[in-house]
Amino acid sequence: MGCSGSVPARSSGQSGGLNNLENAGSSDAKNLRVKLVLLGDSGVGKSCIVLRFVRGQFDPTSKVTVGASFLSQTIALQDSTTVKFEIWDTAGQERYAALAPLYYRGAAVAVVVYDITSPDSFNKAQYWVKELQKHGSPDIVMALVGNKADLHEKREVPAQDGIEYAEKNGMFFIETSAKTADNINQLFEEIAKRLPRPSPSS
Amino acid sequence: MSTSSSSPSSDEELIFNPNPIPKPIDDELTLASLTLTESNGNGSVGESDRYGGAGVVLEAEREGEREGPSSPSSSGYAGERGSSSEGTSNSRIGDEDDDGIQEVINDHDGFVDGVGDSSPSASWVPGKRHVDEDDASISWRKRKKHFFILSHSGKPIYSRYGDEHKLAGFSATLQAIISFVENGKDRIKLVRAGKHQVVFLIKGPIYLVCISCTEEPYESLRGQLELLYGQMILILTKSINRCFEKNPKFDMTPLLGGTDVVFSSLIHSFNWNPATFLHAYTCLPLAYATRQAAGAVLQDVADSGVLFALLMCKCKVVSLVGAQKASLHPDDMLLLSNFVMSSESFRTSESFSPICLPRYNPTAFLYAYVHYFDADTYLMLLTTSSDAFYHLKDCRVCFILIQRNNNLAFDVTNKGSSCVATVVRYHSCFQPLDPANTTVQLWIQWLVATVVLLRSNVLSEVQRSMLEGGMRVEDLPVDPLPRSSMPHRLSQQRILTQSPEIFSESIVGIGGPTGLWHFIYRSIYLDQYVSSDFSPPISSPQQQKRLYRAYQKLYCSMHDKGIGPHKTQFRRDENYVLLCWVTQDFELYAAFDPLADKAVAIKTCNRVCQWVKDVENEIFLQGASPFSW
Repeated sequence: MGCSGSVPARSSGQSGGLNNLENAGSSDAKNLRVKLVLLGDSGVGKSCIVLRFVRGQFDPTSKVTVGASFLSQTIALQDSTTVKFEIWDTAGQERYAALAPLYYRGAAVAVVVYDITSPDSFNKAQYWVKELQKHGSPDIVMALVGNKADLHEKREVPAQDGIEYAEKNGMFFIETSAKTADNINQLFEEIAKRLPRPSPSS
Repeated sequence: MSTSSSSPSSDEELIFNPNPIPKPIDDELTLASLTLTESNGNGSVGESDRYGGAGVVLEAEREGEREGPSSPSSSGYAGERGSSSEGTSNSRIGDEDDDGIQEVINDHDGFVDGVGDSSPSASWVPGKRHVDEDDASISWRKRKKHFFILSHSGKPIYSRYGDEHKLAGFSATLQAIISFVENGKDRIKLVRAGKHQVVFLIKGPIYLVCISCTEEPYESLRGQLELLYGQMILILTKSINRCFEKNPKFDMTPLLGGTDVVFSSLIHSFNWNPATFLHAYTCLPLAYATRQAAGAVLQDVADSGVLFALLMCKCKVVSLVGAQKASLHPDDMLLLSNFVMSSESFRTSESFSPICLPRYNPTAFLYAYVHYFDADTYLMLLTTSSDAFYHLKDCRVCFILIQRNNNLAFDVTNKGSSCVATVVRYHSCFQPLDPANTTVQLWIQWLVATVVLLRSNVLSEVQRSMLEGGMRVEDLPVDPLPRSSMPHRLSQQRILTQSPEIFSESIVGIGGPTGLWHFIYRSIYLDQYVSSDFSPPISSPQQQKRLYRAYQKLYCSMHDKGIGPHKTQFRRDENYVLLCWVTQDFELYAAFDPLADKAVAIKTCNRVCQWVKDVENEIFLQGASPFSW
């Protein structure tokens, strides 16, 4: 993180939550800049969600993410604020698990993804939630996402399970399909609405 | 074990190294002269039976197999492919063909001769194939070159063909062979079974095995196993050994999830990339000034705390810079570029990944920032600090800014150092910046560097060079001209080729003048090589692969300290005349028409060396070793 922390501190008064952001120099009340990290088992569709959101694309040939990819996308909300998401799309493979803190450290938002057709991935999602509760920033906004909602005939994780788990852990829950683009924008809009706003002081 | 019922055949040889301590390769050969012949399987314990069994499998595999190019019937077996987008079912799978089986039931969809393919890798589809096979499949047994990685408890880790999990029994057999020999306080290196060689490499708890009937020398196959191991270390570091200390039955496959393609592309590169046996890297031909400009850009980046900065185009280096006293081994560069090029996700967006350079430090991760500028050209920045990525990422942001705002780039380009103020102002529109902040300083450094990169058109020059290619044997200057009059640009060289007298000669001979077909020049001091572009008659991927195999053999015999070191070697067979010349400064490998005259060939080699010297500023990265500019 180096010296980046001093940039927002010196530039404009910002609330505690956003001070955690990496190089979050440009955040003000109207233009938010947030670091978002995606976590989840491999193959649940994290990269597909990001690529659908950022580029509007869906590529059915799965490309294994290596390490972590970085993409960004800005959305405008109805109250004329803009939110720039700096998205860290992490690799789901086990060998990268130890590196996850690198990516979720200082993140304002964590999106934990599972595949509704895979109970294993739901278990893995719960592992990530616990890990974030232990080591993430205390005021991190967390979303639980059941992806591949288009495969409802193969569903093995009932939506109710996701809802209940999310509720228990103070998370926001949504089921998405990167393939059909269902609920993808809603996911990010909902996150944007839940972000703590910097206080308009100074 | 499906094969244990067969009795061991008597002609197998077990070559033991009586010294349990691993010795350098040169020693192994001499020691290998102690050859034990298993008289029969009955006298030995169970392991020997299994060993014998495995030998018989290999014996069975030999039937009907011949190394591709020599038999015109060697077919393009294009069976199942990976999930790739490659649409045409008729295209050759360069590697698959030769290392694959020759005649298989579903041969019908894949017999197209590869003549005309410019690059052996062009038609290769990445990813693992034939996952449905196992050691009971006839097709699996007929494959010409298998690679296996297994753990010391016999658990499969990687197999080139077939599903690892289905190969548990086979892995256990390999493990049994190894442990049988180890129980005798010895170490197994090689088993010969007819045309097959089974090469073993033991790296602590990791066992690597190659079963091949490609007639490659033992040293080459062993070198390939070393690279395979290095690739694994690059992904996981050597600390993987600790997992085995804790739990000998540790299953490594989940840790390597999704890396099949990295291994398969490395194995494929054994066929087409001379770097895999030369232990040297190659550069993209570029004007000296262009490469220097690229180097200056990288140097600026390196000064801001990067250990290595590499700008590469496919597997060729455009420029590279290292921090003080840090040097990058050519094998590490090979493994690194293979890792990056074979992992599709790097192309989708800028990425940050932990990687380990086995020759630099096999126990620690470095952090690699990878960004593709276009389909082939990519930048890699390696740091020891995971935090550094946040700087690097910001560097990238600047690049986007410039790309998206030509006016700014123009402004910066024209106003030189005063650009910094402009940039800070421009960037202030997005976020307040404190110019005293070191991050911002790094950022500005990078920005200026990027502008240099753009202004000097490095990226467009790289693309141009890709299209133009490198040294062609047809362009070999006919007479050694006085050096002062030599054109220095490769492209000018090419213009020279158009002059009538040279043209007349090039239509007389096939390939280059005096029957020169191809050459590789390796500069020992620079750790770099240059390989001439392939031109007829070495045009198909099969022919190219055969030539590389011939070079490989030549390389091994020249570096065999047991009978060497040699200075020159002239070898004629039905395919080529091969000439190898090793001096303190360079190694030259040249292939000629099989009817080429020896004296003329030697003279031609002298001309090649002169030619390489004349254009060395363009084909080699100069001053890369001390990394001081």
